[in-house]
Amino acid sequence: MPRTIKLHPFTILAIAVAVITMTTAASLWWLSCAVMALCLLIAGWAGHLKKLAVLSGAMLLPTFLSLLLIHGLISRDQSPAIAQWGPLRVTIHGLEVALSLGLRTAVLVVVGLLCGLLIDKHHLVAAIDLSPVPPQLGYLLAATLFLLPQMAEKQRQIGEAQTLRNMGTGTGLAGWFQRIRLRAVPLVLASMQDAQDRAVHLAARGFPATGARTRLRTVPDSSVQRGIRWAALVCAVLGPILILTFIGNRG
Amino acid sequence: MKRKLPGQSTASLGLDLDRFSYLDSPDVVLRNIHLEIQPGSLTIITGHSGSGKSTLGAILAGLLPRHSMDHLEGNVAVGGTCIEFSATSTPRVDVAEWAKHIGFLPQDAGHYLSGIRGTVAEELAFSLENAGVLREQMHQRVAELAHRLHLGKLLERHPEKLSGGQERLVAMAALAISEPDVVVLDEPLAGLDRQATELVTEMITALRAQGTALVILSGSTRFWAQDADELWLLENGTLQPASDAEPGNQSEKSIQRPQRSAENPAVLLSMDSVELAYPGSAHAAVQHLDLHVRSGDCLGLVGANGSGKTTVLKSIAGLLTPVSGVLEASGSVGLLLQNSADQLFERTVLREVSFGLPKKSIQLERVPQILAKLGLEPYCDTHPYELPASARRLVALATVLVREPQILLLDEPTEALDEAGEAILQEAITEVLDGGGAVILSTHDARFMERMTDRVHAMESRS
Repeated sequence: MPRTIKLHPFTILAIAVAVITMTTAASLWWLSCAVMALCLLIAGWAGHLKKLAVLSGAMLLPTFLSLLLIHGLISRDQSPAIAQWGPLRVTIHGLEVALSLGLRTAVLVVVGLLCGLLIDKHHLVAAIDLSPVPPQLGYLLAATLFLLPQMAEKQRQIGEAQTLRNMGTGTGLAGWFQRIRLRAVPLVLASMQDAQDRAVHLAARGFPATGARTRLRTVPDSSVQRGIRWAALVCAVLGPILILTFIGNRG
Repeated sequence: MKRKLPGQSTASLGLDLDRFSYLDSPDVVLRNIHLEIQPGSLTIITGHSGSGKSTLGAILAGLLPRHSMDHLEGNVAVGGTCIEFSATSTPRVDVAEWAKHIGFLPQDAGHYLSGIRGTVAEELAFSLENAGVLREQMHQRVAELAHRLHLGKLLERHPEKLSGGQERLVAMAALAISEPDVVVLDEPLAGLDRQATELVTEMITALRAQGTALVILSGSTRFWAQDADELWLLENGTLQPASDAEPGNQSEKSIQRPQRSAENPAVLLSMDSVELAYPGSAHAAVQHLDLHVRSGDCLGLVGANGSGKTTVLKSIAGLLTPVSGVLEASGSVGLLLQNSADQLFERTVLREVSFGLPKKSIQLERVPQILAKLGLEPYCDTHPYELPASARRLVALATVLVREPQILLLDEPTEALDEAGEAILQEAITEVLDGGGAVILSTHDARFMERMTDRVHAMESRS
């Protein structure tokens, strides 16, 4: 059973932004690795370790491979090659660039995914609703977060109906493309129809609110968390500047 | 364009409609309708599918006419204000303001729910949140409403995890929390099992008891005739007093169940100790199922919502592989899904019915014949979404029948069908049975089940 973290969603997001910007600016392999290790520890504590590992792997593996291909194998830099197969050359510098860029991307991906796993989506929508931003923003986010699974379900239903008519039953890559082609248009049309059907009733229920709006859901917050958010935002903006200035002076 | 109602009018809602037509359509959908809804009254408006019930409901709810699009001539009195519509002027209606007086629940109750709230309590409070009601007051009103309508156990549930009946109850409660003077319900009992039907009718009684006027748009007057203050029939675009007699008796009389001719008909389907489960689910949806269906059989599946009727039909159609047991079907299988919208994807009815059929096949040549048989010829070039619900259901049926299935599976086939549509469905079933096929149907319509089936199989409810 996953544990829930009782922090305001904005607090988690602010800390994440600060960590990502400062780690990216520092560009130190050991710092990036330490941040990711910490993320894995937190995910393990919260019961999301497997999910985080699988999702991160699915995103980072192709990223690392493409970086290695661009900078490690077909790099045109003139540094000495440590291995060579015809036009393909592996150089120390190329590998360093690929690793550096890969680690920066990895921090962004792992921290971002961890945020997605730790933040209660309903809390996040409620927090946005209770903030002074336009109500449509909260709905847009909520629709993205909650209606996408509904679209996935709709897509499955369309697939079943097409299977009943012996369509979209092919196998392999060609079958996969055929299914995509057959399901895309009905899915878009059905989603548009659904949005149209819901829109009139949302309007009848007073959405979007023209005056002050409230939420039944309480989002836990405190003055300490507000302080942390401000500090994190200051770090997110000033941290990279200070780090880059320090590196520049040292260089 | 607004004027105050005369002081002596006690009606919560008044409609004096001369004519209404949709944008770009020469047809007048509604004409010469005069309706006054008194506080606490129950008004039933019946009529066949496509008669204009939902259109009338949307007009009462202020959703129609759409500004500068549809044409309405007449006036609507709501909340002490009379709004006049004419050929030259369509005032812009503030739907949210209108909904404070008139609440409208569509046939698909799920469309009324926001789809973005995590609990039933939040869904109930959605309109209060938008109105800026204080949190303490919202908690109080939600708790009071839940107590009054017996929804206490559902408050912390996720709205998407509700059964069809529960979803309708929650939508009705979400409508009622704003305490409108009049609640308009479009087919509130469609697709509900007996238990859910009782709960919805109880809620309607509770709403009425607190002084809310109810307008129910329904193809059937069966549940309401006794309690109704006014009973109207919507026919040819206008209202006329309806008798208590249930429309639809004609189809009941006309049906003749075919007699089985062969002495030992062939077994078309056999299921032995079948266990069914959805991928990723730890629990079986259906266990220890034994079914044997022979040529000429018409078998009914009965059971509460969620008992696994649809699951069984899907497994016979090959959409779900049994976890264990033996399932053998000899002959082609065709399944009519519960929700027609899931089964239709093409731009026109003709393309829809032809979808997936091999070119130059006999089946493709049968398409015009099937369309004619189901009375869909006039709709050949119409988009399926633009059809009345009953015709849309028949299009979905046509997509199944065109493949000449030997085993015809029907999931809630009478849902959304009007009297004429039901007669066509009965003929289609009879034809399959006469041709040596078999039919398995699942329906909450007990009368249809009794008329059509030889025997029924009761599905066990999962605890």
